[in-house]
Amino acid sequence: MRDSISKPITRVDAADKLSGAACYIGDMRLEDMLYAKTLRAAEPRAKLISIEYPELPEGYFVVDKRDVPGENRVKMLIDDQPFFAEEVVNYIGEPIALIVGKDKEVINKLLEDIKVEYERLQPILCIDNITAPPIYGENDSFADYSLNKGDLQKARAGAAYVYEGIYETGYQEQFYMEPQGVIAEFKEGKVSIYGSIQCPYYVKNAVVSCLGSAPEDVRIVQAATGGAFGGKEDYPSLLAGQAACAAIKAGKPVCLLLDRNEDLEATTKRHPAKITLKSYIDESCRILGLEADIALDAGAYAGISGVVLQRAMFAAAGVYNIENLSIRGKAIATNKAVSGAFRGFGSPQAFFAIEMHMEHAAKAIGIDPLQYKLSNLVKQGDRSTTNGILRDKILLPEMVDRVLEMSGFTEKRKSFKTERAVGALKGIGLSMFFHGCGFTGNGEQDHIKAKVRLTKDIHDRVEILIANVEMGQGVQTTMRKIAAAAMELPIDSIIFANPDTDRVPDSGPTVASRTTVIVGKLVYDAALKLKEKWQAGAASEVEEQYKYPQGFEWDNDSFSGDAYTNYSWGVNAVEVELDPITYESTIKGVWTVFDIGNPIDDRLVRGQIDGGIVQGLGYASMEVMENLQGRFRQRTSTDYIIPTAMDIPEIKSELMCEPFKYGPYGAKGLGELTLVGAPIAYALAVENALSINIDTLPVRPEHLMEVAADGNGY
Amino acid sequence: MVEAYKPNDLKEALELLAFNDCTIFAGGTDLMVKRKRWSGLVPSFEKPVMFISQLQELREVTEDNGMLTIGAACTLSELIDNELIPEHFKTVFRQMASPGIRNIATIGGNICNASPAGESLPLLYALDAEVVLQSSCRKVELPIAEFVQGVGKTLLKSGEMVTAIKVPKSSFTSITYRKVGTRKSTALSKLSFIGLAASDEEGLQDVRLAFGAVAPTVVRSRDAEEDIIDMLKLGSLDISQIIDDYSTLIKPISDQRSTALYRKKACIRLLVDFIINSLAREVVR
Repeated sequence: MRDSISKPITRVDAADKLSGAACYIGDMRLEDMLYAKTLRAAEPRAKLISIEYPELPEGYFVVDKRDVPGENRVKMLIDDQPFFAEEVVNYIGEPIALIVGKDKEVINKLLEDIKVEYERLQPILCIDNITAPPIYGENDSFADYSLNKGDLQKARAGAAYVYEGIYETGYQEQFYMEPQGVIAEFKEGKVSIYGSIQCPYYVKNAVVSCLGSAPEDVRIVQAATGGAFGGKEDYPSLLAGQAACAAIKAGKPVCLLLDRNEDLEATTKRHPAKITLKSYIDESCRILGLEADIALDAGAYAGISGVVLQRAMFAAAGVYNIENLSIRGKAIATNKAVSGAFRGFGSPQAFFAIEMHMEHAAKAIGIDPLQYKLSNLVKQGDRSTTNGILRDKILLPEMVDRVLEMSGFTEKRKSFKTERAVGALKGIGLSMFFHGCGFTGNGEQDHIKAKVRLTKDIHDRVEILIANVEMGQGVQTTMRKIAAAAMELPIDSIIFANPDTDRVPDSGPTVASRTTVIVGKLVYDAALKLKEKWQAGAASEVEEQYKYPQGFEWDNDSFSGDAYTNYSWGVNAVEVELDPITYESTIKGVWTVFDIGNPIDDRLVRGQIDGGIVQGLGYASMEVMENLQGRFRQRTSTDYIIPTAMDIPEIKSELMCEPFKYGPYGAKGLGELTLVGAPIAYALAVENALSINIDTLPVRPEHLMEVAADGNGY
Repeated sequence: MVEAYKPNDLKEALELLAFNDCTIFAGGTDLMVKRKRWSGLVPSFEKPVMFISQLQELREVTEDNGMLTIGAACTLSELIDNELIPEHFKTVFRQMASPGIRNIATIGGNICNASPAGESLPLLYALDAEVVLQSSCRKVELPIAEFVQGVGKTLLKSGEMVTAIKVPKSSFTSITYRKVGTRKSTALSKLSFIGLAASDEEGLQDVRLAFGAVAPTVVRSRDAEEDIIDMLKLGSLDISQIIDDYSTLIKPISDQRSTALYRKKACIRLLVDFIINSLAREVVR
């Protein structure tokens, strides 16, 4: 069933990245380039009474709100976030000004000598029981949505069992290997931004609005990007606007590259969530209805929280066919760093809640959780949470069977029970999940309207012109493979350089597991077109624009219809053993089966799976980020703990393929899906090992010690 | 910029120290991290820096008359590879930091950094190690528990340096070491525990217990250990008494790595496990 395109080739960027030749922002030295460092708020919520700057030596500049020629608001969904703070600051680390100059020592000294006077205001630091005046709007929410399907009253009336639970998940930092950074250059009336970014056109729109300049006077070029995971979706727009203002003021290129710990503390992270679920279940253990209340901690500014919330809401029912739904969602403003995009985008939180809920409900009723889940699975032709039709075959039952077999799940559940009786705390858990690929709702057809261009030169070389970026996931390789295969050309006759908005059309951002399935298909279609009009030795050009596939529909006001055109699916099992004295955990095994349609390159797919699983297991077990009085406690790379190779065993993974008709070679989305299921399987394994219920991520030994240790005083 | 010295031998180093108040730099794995600055800037040292990792006198391990002498500038990796170093030392060293750091971090540095979480310290406390301090005019030996005074505080005076650690060689019949870290590698400890016991045909002779990262300095009490030995000899083991004794000594804090409650409970549970599963076994032997 797998296509020959799946056969792996050497990554085109491998040599440069291994040898160190790849040019990241930290490697770039433009002529006369200056450095910038950020003056950041030291209070979570305060009025700025005064700022006293020291006398500046020649060639040094302060750049702040007074230096923004256009709108001092980062252009995003809701334009509430200033490039530089104005009257108030809303989180510790919020940028107030840049100090710009040639010598970093001098800049450091100047920063130390700035005196900022604050008048403290009562901050909002949690999402429950808010008493302080709102940060945003009247009810302190950036988004407040509800979604209804069927008739929940009917479900209530017919329920034999009602089960309710509250599930909480914490922050997660993307921890890309390369911190955020941009360089801005101002030459002959035109600003060029070089940046470690995911979304060149988001950055362009933000800079155009910041400078109040014509679109043609702003150019964005992606530099080699050392990982992003969503962290470089929205935040680079802020940095680029700031650096652009600085370059204009200084008349020289300005490099604004964050340090690791600065990045850790000030940039976006995964939204903490609190999700309440109540399910109504009939005599035969069918779920009749589900009520969900989702609260996301959005931080100080809106960012992309509204869309994250939508994705969380649409995933609230998990992989289960529930006909009657009532889902409420809120993205709540708090005086903490802005929560933003991170691989999964709201769905890891929602899937954790529903998977744990299903397990706990089954235990409470007294039935086998796995059977309960399987008997309620969604299948082809069923309706999604938003009443869209699930058109493609859903392979979940086969995938579950395969994971059970690979992991020895059933036998282990039995034998571990015996072993636990003699003190060995072993457990195994299994999760089922999906990821809707591409933008949520009407994003692709109404907002992004992706466009791609292919050009052919007189030497018959074809260049792919798209705005999507290589950030480690392998897009430089997969896009070349797709184009080469479609045109039956050798791979090295295809050119794909890092995007420059002066050269590439807007094919949309590199987010939402959309690049292969949406943009890849456009590249494929364009390649076929180019092949059709191919004339050896003649230059030519073709363009393709996204067309919403026929038969799909979406109404954004009522959140009804096809929230996504295609879904990828996953089943994961994780085995753990806990130390009976300290409750430290050791992950003994990880088994996965994913349906991502037809894989474009088996090795790149494997890389995404391994990376997503490790990131998910970190989220589940050790990535603790607490906020005390507005300040993150784990704010250095020493204290924010991500897994090492020693923490993860070999990951055994297989694919099952249900191709997507509108994806290139039947491919579907992949990148985000791989993170969603492992945290759940991990938590379920710990539950199994200790015979307790887990409802909070991360699962810390500190928590287990409190709930599971013997009651005899130690 | 500060002055930097790189003496050729110990004598020269001590003479330099006599007239210059220096920061002594061996592996630098703590000194550099503490002075981490904006990327691209040189770490700034307040005092002149003296590098000592090239001093051969500080890199030797010798054994003489039942006394193991470890040069202060021996790296953890060197100690792991050294034949004279007992296995239970290596168990501790192997769990410290990461391979790269173990290749340059030194045992002397770990002691002088005097971090509550310093991972060589519980072992050295339990073994009654002595720290050798040298200046151009004298050489003294201090018990490690005396040398380390508090968080980041030692009795090291200007003009002096730690040149070696002396550990009386003793053999133990039960050895337990547990580091509870934030992850399985490249981790600082939330807490650590070492339990040592020695017995012969006449029964249990010695018990040593030490806890790391749960108080400003390593927790070890000879009185409590002797009580345990007596209890076991008399066959009147009173676990709750032992727990009470250690509960007053173990005073952890909650911080970014763990909670006070967890640290305390885990320590007590490790202690009880050691007494029940190791000491009780020693007694029956």
